[in-house]
Amino acid sequence: MNSLAIETLGLTKVYTSSFKKQKVEALTDLNLQISKGMIFGLLGPNGAGKTTLIKLLLGITFPTAGSATILGENISGYKMKYKIGYLPENHKYPAYLSGGEVLQFYGKLSGMESNELNKKIDELLELVQLMKWKKTKIKNYSKGMMQRLGLAQALVNNPELIFLDEPTDGVDPIGRKEIRDILIELKNNGKTIFLNSHLLSEVELITDRVGILNKGKLLREGDVKEMTQNKEEYKISIEGDSIEKLDDEILRKAGFAKMNQDYYSFKVENTNELNKILDILRNNGIVIKEMLQQKSSLEEIFISLIKESDKEKVQ
Amino acid sequence: MKNIWIMTWFTLREAMARKVFLFFASISAVILIIMAFVFGLMDKASFSFNVSGGAHLPYNNPITMIEMMIVSPLSSLCLLLAIFASASFVPIMLEKGNIDLLLSKPVSRDQLLWGKYFGGILVVLLNIAFMVTGVWLIISLKFSSWDFSFLSIILAITFTFAVLYSLIVLLGVLTKGSTLGMMVAYLIFLLLSPVLFLAKDKVADFIQNKFLKSLILGTYYLVPKTSELMGKIMSSLASGNGIEDYQPILTSLAFLILTMGITISIFRKKDF
Repeated sequence: MNSLAIETLGLTKVYTSSFKKQKVEALTDLNLQISKGMIFGLLGPNGAGKTTLIKLLLGITFPTAGSATILGENISGYKMKYKIGYLPENHKYPAYLSGGEVLQFYGKLSGMESNELNKKIDELLELVQLMKWKKTKIKNYSKGMMQRLGLAQALVNNPELIFLDEPTDGVDPIGRKEIRDILIELKNNGKTIFLNSHLLSEVELITDRVGILNKGKLLREGDVKEMTQNKEEYKISIEGDSIEKLDDEILRKAGFAKMNQDYYSFKVENTNELNKILDILRNNGIVIKEMLQQKSSLEEIFISLIKESDKEKVQ
Repeated sequence: MKNIWIMTWFTLREAMARKVFLFFASISAVILIIMAFVFGLMDKASFSFNVSGGAHLPYNNPITMIEMMIVSPLSSLCLLLAIFASASFVPIMLEKGNIDLLLSKPVSRDQLLWGKYFGGILVVLLNIAFMVTGVWLIISLKFSSWDFSFLSIILAITFTFAVLYSLIVLLGVLTKGSTLGMMVAYLIFLLLSPVLFLAKDKVADFIQNKFLKSLILGTYYLVPKTSELMGKIMSSLASGNGIEDYQPILTSLAFLILTMGITISIFRKKDF
């Protein structure tokens, strides 16, 4: 059985202007594998190709080169879409429908039977806290309500794979937390979530893996924890301030520097070196109160990668 | 098929939400009420039919003539309003955020387009059926004459709209807007089709220049024959005489098939 939810091979999209003079590479030779049951975050500045990738995967736009599969099926067909949910950025629902009717419409288009659909609609409206507004025309909904309705719409057919493009856009902090909780719950129920978001801190909170995209190219892809852990850098808190008094080659090399009254920072090459340092400290009677591995935020990594990539392009 | 029906049904809902179709239905309803009132007050004997002494009329039954006098201008008004109201069905579907969502569902692009197309036609069919059936019922009750062939004009008017609507859909897909489709449909309906029919019928025989003659005839056969469909074909059907000349129907049908074929082939490959 295929354990991959999404797989792309050399996926490329070039947009050509109407007069065939100007070509824009929206996505270049993208190779990506996303396993089932995880939350994957795709990050990138505006125009990086994030939405283009989703559109290619969903058959909204056609690739110039390369191929892709979703849940083991080629993206050229439309039958695999029975197992997919999608919340687009700036979605537009027919304003003359009520919240319940919007879910009816998209649920029916997703192949749901009436009885099952009616139950699901109530269940989802409860989940996104819109049950009270089920019969209200959506032209009277606020931005946050529309976003929550959008999430319900994306889940209406009980999909295995859910694409969410800026799902918390326009939602207040409490609403965002609720959406995050829903996504985690979905993941715990075995769903795969593909998330496009500008809110890096939010992505960091819930994603298992992230991909960073810039100008159509995938700069980095990996486990969020691994990516944010600065493996070689640690901070340590000791009793007293006796480290400076120790004269040791290994400690000097590690570059102990006092961060504040309680903490020192230092760098090591590997785990062996880390243990040697700890031995030296203990052998010299220094009491270690706490030791933490230094972490970079996803935002810091994102900004540094984008800057590097932009510099390379200029050179 | 189920998906086409869902799209058709929701297009009908969209049309109802737009007040134009309700506006037309209201006009029809008011005219029917006035008709019922007037015909109710008047005595049968007060209608004196003098067909033979007047100008040539295409109807052998004076009752059909009365029906057509009411239905003809109303159906033209209905088509004008229908073109206006339905021109934006496809462009709205193609709006960013809407088409993305529709294409993410397990529905083929052909089904989406056919659903929108049939939805537009269904709206016009319902409006025309309401108006024509109403007129026919009132007059048939008044004169106790039940000529069912009159009802077949419902199909003629709907077919005329279907032909024009295929062009509106094509231009909607190409431009993602409604203006061009609406303008071209009005141009054909109000100007091109009547003028070309007149040119072919009355003028072409007198033209000596072969190229000009071929150009007029070629354009005539290419452009939908809305003038004839809403004119002589509708009259023949209303009087129960049947259709003598199928050419306007067949060439208009060929136009419809070709236009929808081109539209579908473009829509299948279009990036959104």
